[in-house]
Amino acid sequence: MKRVYPREERCINCHLCEVACIVEHSETKLPSAAYHVEGLRFNREDSRTICDPAEARAAGVPKPLNRTLVQTAGYLSLSTNCRHCEEPDCVLACKNGSLYVAEDGRVLVQEDKCVGCWMCVMACRYGAISRNPARSNVPAVAFNGINHHCDLCPERELPACVWVCPTNALVFEDRDDQ
Amino acid sequence: MEYYEEPNARVALGLRRPEPGDWYHGYPEYHVERDDDKCIRCLVCVRQCPYDCTFYDPYRHGVYNVHENCVNCRRCEFMCPTSAIRMTKWGAGFRDNDNWKQKTIRTVYKQADSGAVSLTGLGNDREYVSYFDRMVIDASQVTNPSIDPLREPMELRAYIGKKPERHTNPPEVYPNLKAELPVIFAPMSFGAISFNFQRGLAMAAKEAGTYFNTGEGGLHPDLRQYGDHAIVQIASGRFGVSLDYLSNAAACEIKIGQGAKPGIGGHLPGEKVTWDVSRTRMIPEGSDALSPAPQHDIYSIEDLRLLIYGLKEATEYTRPVSVKIAAVHNVAAIASGIVRAGADIVVVDGFRGGTGAAPAVIRDHVGIPVEVALAQVDQRLREEGIRHQASLIAAGGIRSSADVIKGLALGADAFYIGTAAMVAVGCTACQQCHRGRCSWGITTNRPDLAPRLQPEVAAERLTNLLHGWAHEIKEMLGMMGLNSIESLRGNRLKLRGVGMTQVELDTLGIQQAGL
Repeated sequence: MKRVYPREERCINCHLCEVACIVEHSETKLPSAAYHVEGLRFNREDSRTICDPAEARAAGVPKPLNRTLVQTAGYLSLSTNCRHCEEPDCVLACKNGSLYVAEDGRVLVQEDKCVGCWMCVMACRYGAISRNPARSNVPAVAFNGINHHCDLCPERELPACVWVCPTNALVFEDRDDQ
Repeated sequence: MEYYEEPNARVALGLRRPEPGDWYHGYPEYHVERDDDKCIRCLVCVRQCPYDCTFYDPYRHGVYNVHENCVNCRRCEFMCPTSAIRMTKWGAGFRDNDNWKQKTIRTVYKQADSGAVSLTGLGNDREYVSYFDRMVIDASQVTNPSIDPLREPMELRAYIGKKPERHTNPPEVYPNLKAELPVIFAPMSFGAISFNFQRGLAMAAKEAGTYFNTGEGGLHPDLRQYGDHAIVQIASGRFGVSLDYLSNAAACEIKIGQGAKPGIGGHLPGEKVTWDVSRTRMIPEGSDALSPAPQHDIYSIEDLRLLIYGLKEATEYTRPVSVKIAAVHNVAAIASGIVRAGADIVVVDGFRGGTGAAPAVIRDHVGIPVEVALAQVDQRLREEGIRHQASLIAAGGIRSSADVIKGLALGADAFYIGTAAMVAVGCTACQQCHRGRCSWGITTNRPDLAPRLQPEVAAERLTNLLHGWAHEIKEMLGMMGLNSIESLRGNRLKLRGVGMTQVELDTLGIQQAGL
């Protein structure tokens, strides 16, 4: 299966992969709108812009978040995202079966089922799962949000982060044989 | 959100005024304009700026600039995903004055601030006459047919080295370089440029069938595999020179001078001497690599002969030996002496040649244009009947395939391209090479900046450049009715001068346009 692999010796810590990821997973697919408009709503009652993610969620507009994260340590940096493991710990840990391995090998989440218990976050050895506070299925713990990780850009042939990387520090290739 | 430390104290204090004793930075030269509507605060520009010019203010959730530090390298402009950034000149600058230009005033401020020699990078940026731009090329009409290079064979291969004087049986054969097109990558040392760029040069040279020059910094062990396409340099500092180094290369080059700084040695600031550079150069890490001004074993043509034959002995007469000099006054007589001393290749480096670091005053005022030097050297060697004993390589200021054609007609066998190669891989000619923090990863070895240029990206772009130039050279040769560069070499009837005095025309050995 083709996965996104980082090559840390090439990473220049520019974080364009994060930008591309956010734009790709936004509604408008426009950088300015993805960052400035989506997730925010003009509140007519007191004439102000909502900047708080929880408030934006109440208004029904999910704010796009990056699914890949550039991690840095000194001069070293690399973009980390979901490894889409063959035997994923997160799927084993998921208590209500909202995480599953799709037929093509991708690890996906059923966004309407996730309750935000964060066992997947605990289980992932790569730290590739984050929480998306913009959505929630359980009103009582709405602040928890839901599981949020790389979906390998289903609408694109090449994931957006790989496509945008200026030094080819991310590659999309099949390394199952190696 | 990550917190970025503000780059200097006066910004933190909200003061725009420079620190005492820093007048140079008191007057910003460029203005980084940021369209706040478009800016998405992704902070790519903050992370990409190596000159402490851009910073993020978490309190205002905005990106701001210390414009005084901007060198107009345009990296942030290039990387910005929303094109929110653009560079402009800062205001009116100093009062209009053709004698005391902005640059002149700023240089005086800088020296008064620091008391140091004003260093700079890249090549001469003054408004001297470019003879390349005042020469025009001939074309075939009616009386002689032009050739279509897409339908007929066209010969661009250049054999560089000593040629036999006349045909004998068996023929005399001397070691020659075989370049598939007469364009070679100029000497740029590892240390001055990044390893990735040198590797890119090596890969492109191999791909295009030409050569790259290691410069004076030695040959990195990882580049040994490209030895067949390497010209190795022996400069006054003798950095990285060993028998292995000499015998692993296609040719050896003795560096006497460099076009950007004739008469002085190389300057590699200590901050550019990283572990890898120190290992390749065989010098301590972090020490300034300052080559002596002369080669201390060469004080005469006779001494040069000793070194040339020393190198030939060391390589068992299997490789041509080249001597590189800067184009200076009386260059023809010097070149003649070099050929008589036994050099197989003479490289003449004009005053527009680039450098990793040189005193600005020397870069801007010393040396002569390569066009006139080339014409004079070729003429002198012909007159003395020793032109066949050495090939002539022109360097310093070759910007396009038209310059190559004009240089060929003036008598050169091949050309070095340095700055053109750098521009091909992203250089924006911001002239900060000497600071060792090139924002394009070209002239730096800082581990966070060097990966910005990847060897295969560089190799691909350089190969494309050579491919394009080769096509254009073929087209121009065909247009003149010639089918090989051998037919054009030294054929000054194919050139005419525009807007030159008779003395200039005579020096170049060409005729006035219209004749």
